[in-house]
Order: sequence, then C-alpha cells, then structure tokens
Amino acid sequence: MASSTLKPGVPITLRELEPSSDVFKQGASLRVTGNLQSYDVESAIAVIQDGSASLKVDTQHLRDISFRTNSTYQFIGELLIRPDNDAILQARVGRNVDGLDLNLYQQSLIIRRQHEATLLNSRRA
Amino acid sequence: MDSLHLVHVKLLAADLLSLTLRHTSPPSFAHRGRIVARAEVVGVVVSRDRREKFLRFLIDDGTGCVPCVLWLNHQYLNANSSSGTLDTDPTGEMALQMSEVVHLGTLLRVRGRIVMYRGAMQIAVRDVILEKDPNVELLHWLQCVHMAKECFDFPLPPA
Repeated sequence: MASSTLKPGVPITLRELEPSSDVFKQGASLRVTGNLQSYDVESAIAVIQDGSASLKVDTQHLRDISFRTNSTYQFIGELLIRPDNDAILQARVGRNVDGLDLNLYQQSLIIRRQHEATLLNSRRA
Repeated sequence: MDSLHLVHVKLLAADLLSLTLRHTSPPSFAHRGRIVARAEVVGVVVSRDRREKFLRFLIDDGTGCVPCVLWLNHQYLNANSSSGTLDTDPTGEMALQMSEVVHLGTLLRVRGRIVMYRGAMQIAVRDVILEKDPNVELLHWLQCVHMAKECFDFPLPPA
C-alpha cells in the first residue's frame, strides 16, 4: 500500500489549469473532471474537456475502466508539464461520473474552498 | 457531556487529520474543543492493501487522505470464544462483504471510530457504503461546511 502521506488530489476545474495559476506545477496532485473528447487505445491517452478547456490524461496505469466518448470522467493523479507548457495528468485512479452536476460541482467547490481558507486562517491566528 | 462523541461526525479529511489528541485513556480527540470519537468521510479510494486479517485503504476527498482499517479477523476472535464461528457471525460476514466494495477509484462513505496507530490517525471502519451517485460527495462537502458553521462555531453548552 502506498504511504499514508500520499498527497490528496486537489479538485480543480479544467478552466483553472492555466500556466499562470498556482495549481499549474510540476508534480502537483490534482483531481480533474471533464467530458471525454477522445481516447487513444494505443497510447492510453484520454482528452477530457470542460467548456473551452481541455486536458490530456495518461491512463496507462488504470484498470477496470471503460472509456466512452461524451461520458464524464474524473481522474486523480500528478501533473506532468512538458516543454511549451504542454500538460498531461498521469492518472493514478479514475472513474466514470456520469450524472454529476458540473454546475453544482463548481459552486460546491467554491463554498468548500472558502471554508478551507477560513480554517487555515483560524489555525494561523 | 457534549453529545458529539456519540455520533459519526461528518468531517473533511483535513479536519479529521488535524483533530487534537487528548491524552486520555483510551486516547480521545477534539475538534474546536468538542470531543469527537467517530467520524464519517466520503471520498475516492486511492490505495488498497488486503491482508489476511485486515484491509487497509486510503480515502482521498481532496483535502487529505484518510487511512482506514477494516478488520477481517472475526474468525480468529471467535475461535477464542465460545460464542460461535464465522459461519454464524454476521459481523464477520458483513466485514467481508464491505471489503469487496473497496476498489481503487470507487467513491465510498466510511464511518468508524477514530484511533491512533503508530502515531497517526486512522478510522477503524464500522461501515463502508459504495456511493454510486457522484453528487453525494458534493452534498457531503456542503454538510461538512454547514456543520462547521452551525455546530462547531458555537460555544460548548454549559456543563
């Protein structure tokens, strides 16, 4: 079993994953969600999309998951940034999340982050 | 006594892992001054280690990874008692059934006692529920935030 110090996959929206953002870091552990745009069987590279933003996901380590275009998937893994800010998530786990209300997800994420920030500030105080 | 110690308190992993250890016997835990003995977390299984007598796994909810242990040693415990064997022990059967839903990438709701093991906090699992609707995770987040605002932010009732 991996160490209990395994980093949590911080949930983000694909639109937040820009080179200028705080989460766009080599090796960052992230949880990403999007609709499957394409999947290449030979390379095991999936491309997920959320609005105008998209991300490549390396799924070679995943088992027991079938990919269907236009279904919604969520992946947890580490970000690999290649030259020219070409990012790919090396997925550790993945799952189909068809039925997930993406608008509710984004709103809940905002509320959760505000709560986390409040907790962090209270611990620092 | 504050009644929170009797229930499974819905917590985000970051809150659970930052509980204050109270040096009592047995050890107990406090969240903003309130005793918390049992917790409920919802998240994705990111690690799984099945042994003969237990199943260890990690639940990732995005704020932290919670170590969980599900004991599968009921047959050994029963062998040392006169109460029966695994065949007649529903607890042992339930534990085995629960262990079968713990797979990498699945969304689980886990309830159990908070314990210390080798200096780290973990949940000694009582219930494992496979969540098929991905939206329940969002509900859990919002319930945790609501609990924090409506419960933990208020002063303890007078003793």
